[in-house]
Amino acid sequence: MSSGRPRRAVWLRLHTLLVFLFLYAPIAILVAFSFNQTSQTAVWRGFTLEWYRKLLSNDVLLGTVRNSLIVGAAATVLSTVLGTLAALALGRHRFRGEGATRSLLYLPIIIPEVVVGAALVTFFGVAGFRLSLLTVVIAHVVFSISYVAIVVRARLSGFDRSLEEAALDLGARPVQTFFRVTLPLILPGVVAGALLVFTISIDDYVITSFVAGVGATTLPLQIYSMLKVGVTPEVNAVSTLLLAATVVLILLAQRLQQPPPERPEG
Amino acid sequence: MRASARAAAFLAAAVVCLAALSCGERADAPPYPGPGEKKLNLYIWSEYLPQEVIDEFARRTGIAVRYDLYDSNESVLEKLQSGVADYDLVVPSDYMVRILIYLKLLRPLDRSRLPAFANLDPRFLDQDFDPGNRYSIPYVWGTTGFGYDKRQTTRTGAPDSWAPLFDPANKGQILMLDDMRECFAVALKHMGQSLNSTDPKVLRAAADLLKTQKPLVKTYNSGDYENILAAGDVWFAHGYNGQIAKVAAREPQRLGYVLPKEGATLWMDNVCLPRGARNVASIYAFLSYILEPEVDARIINGISYATANVPAKKFIKPEILNDPAIYPPDSALEKCEFIKDIGDATELMDEYWTEIKAQ
Repeated sequence: MSSGRPRRAVWLRLHTLLVFLFLYAPIAILVAFSFNQTSQTAVWRGFTLEWYRKLLSNDVLLGTVRNSLIVGAAATVLSTVLGTLAALALGRHRFRGEGATRSLLYLPIIIPEVVVGAALVTFFGVAGFRLSLLTVVIAHVVFSISYVAIVVRARLSGFDRSLEEAALDLGARPVQTFFRVTLPLILPGVVAGALLVFTISIDDYVITSFVAGVGATTLPLQIYSMLKVGVTPEVNAVSTLLLAATVVLILLAQRLQQPPPERPEG
Repeated sequence: MRASARAAAFLAAAVVCLAALSCGERADAPPYPGPGEKKLNLYIWSEYLPQEVIDEFARRTGIAVRYDLYDSNESVLEKLQSGVADYDLVVPSDYMVRILIYLKLLRPLDRSRLPAFANLDPRFLDQDFDPGNRYSIPYVWGTTGFGYDKRQTTRTGAPDSWAPLFDPANKGQILMLDDMRECFAVALKHMGQSLNSTDPKVLRAAADLLKTQKPLVKTYNSGDYENILAAGDVWFAHGYNGQIAKVAAREPQRLGYVLPKEGATLWMDNVCLPRGARNVASIYAFLSYILEPEVDARIINGISYATANVPAKKFIKPEILNDPAIYPPDSALEKCEFIKDIGDATELMDEYWTEIKAQ
């Protein structure tokens, strides 16, 4: 830091540093302790990959990881398709009840998760739908559609309709126009929405805990039940992996959401 | 093991919603649709059943066991109330068994298919929460005493009574469970009374005792008290023996568990059949299996809790059998009691508890 800089900047930096420390120190400690040689959670005894090795031979824990991946993937595909369709309808057509539809669509994000979970399990009960991995997927799709719709709609806001009109004028059928003009243009929004949904689905606890049935324990449910009998470094290890995967996906989503750089006319 | 406060809070919401929709009075359990499949779906506490015990059952019988883990009694209530969870066996605690029976969510046991039921110690049978054990089989039991930090008691010696929790010298170093009945049990036992006392005068005196204790208490916590003790933030933590034993096992020279000589609360987790259980042949095969003395001993050796299975004691590791935190001596056990439904006195206790917490 140069000495000529005003003092204010120093304080600002210090303040920023403290804020980041406050936000990320616990996570950094969790990551560090996943490499700790002892199972005591409070003392550092040296570096080891032992807990990752143990994690990989823990069939129960890996089974829940598999459940989480299945739910995450299925919820992502379904909610991305449905959410994108909803965003297209809302973003480009004026119709009666449009405002109400939009509000209804965003509601699952605003309603407390507890309420969504309780409502879903009641619904499944009344409908006689056995709780299983499928009910978890359905529940995740319910709250994920809104996220996709919001992200894709934002992408549509600056959309130039004349491009589609040009395609139609040149003889493309509506379906061709959609797949060759519209979709490529909104694709970054769609992918960003999908990644967002995947990260939300993979670490959802509250709603999942309501609707999970036999053999449908996901990773967050498993971690929570393990916490009751003490945090093991195995939990730290699996949390670290989850964290790494989530961070990568979020970064990817952010990149894709940025406006594309101006391309010189070819 | 008992409810985690956080889970309880939101599951309560579910229960309210479900109760509003449930279609009134249910008939007693419907007949079984048949023997069911060679499958068994368990819903059980985390670290309550060693994998090798499950594996051997599968080897012996060819029955595939699937299990999911929960972290609070309220999870069991929520799943069973939904009416669409396919669990064959659940393991709720005593007070939750009472609630599940009241809500008609359990199926009566067919004792004629369980000759090994005779292995169980009658002291743990026929309790207030399930008279005659129509619905529940004791699985493991324990006590509610307190954990303490041995570094802080070198001068006074190891505690053996509830007194340190009322000693002004320990101001700000005491953690109490955030649980009305458990806190009243401490006060009542400290006064030499039954923890199920319904005498208004006795309850008033217990409430006054808890009021004078409150300034000494750092926090009321039922969620992760054992970690607060282990972190050194308090010297004394009121809590269930199992959770305290888990942290004490990591640092036996620093942490210990006391079952006070005045007596304490007994708790018990019990195997029950949900009303909708279907794989009946598999269920009774499994129940008979875990009641076998040698199998039950293997479970106990793996999870370090106490069982009510008398002949199993022969096969339990001596370090578990001789650990007073797990198997207290009979003299101490005689003074312990299960929490009973105290009827109208609950209202009075509720009122006093609010007074104490609002102080």
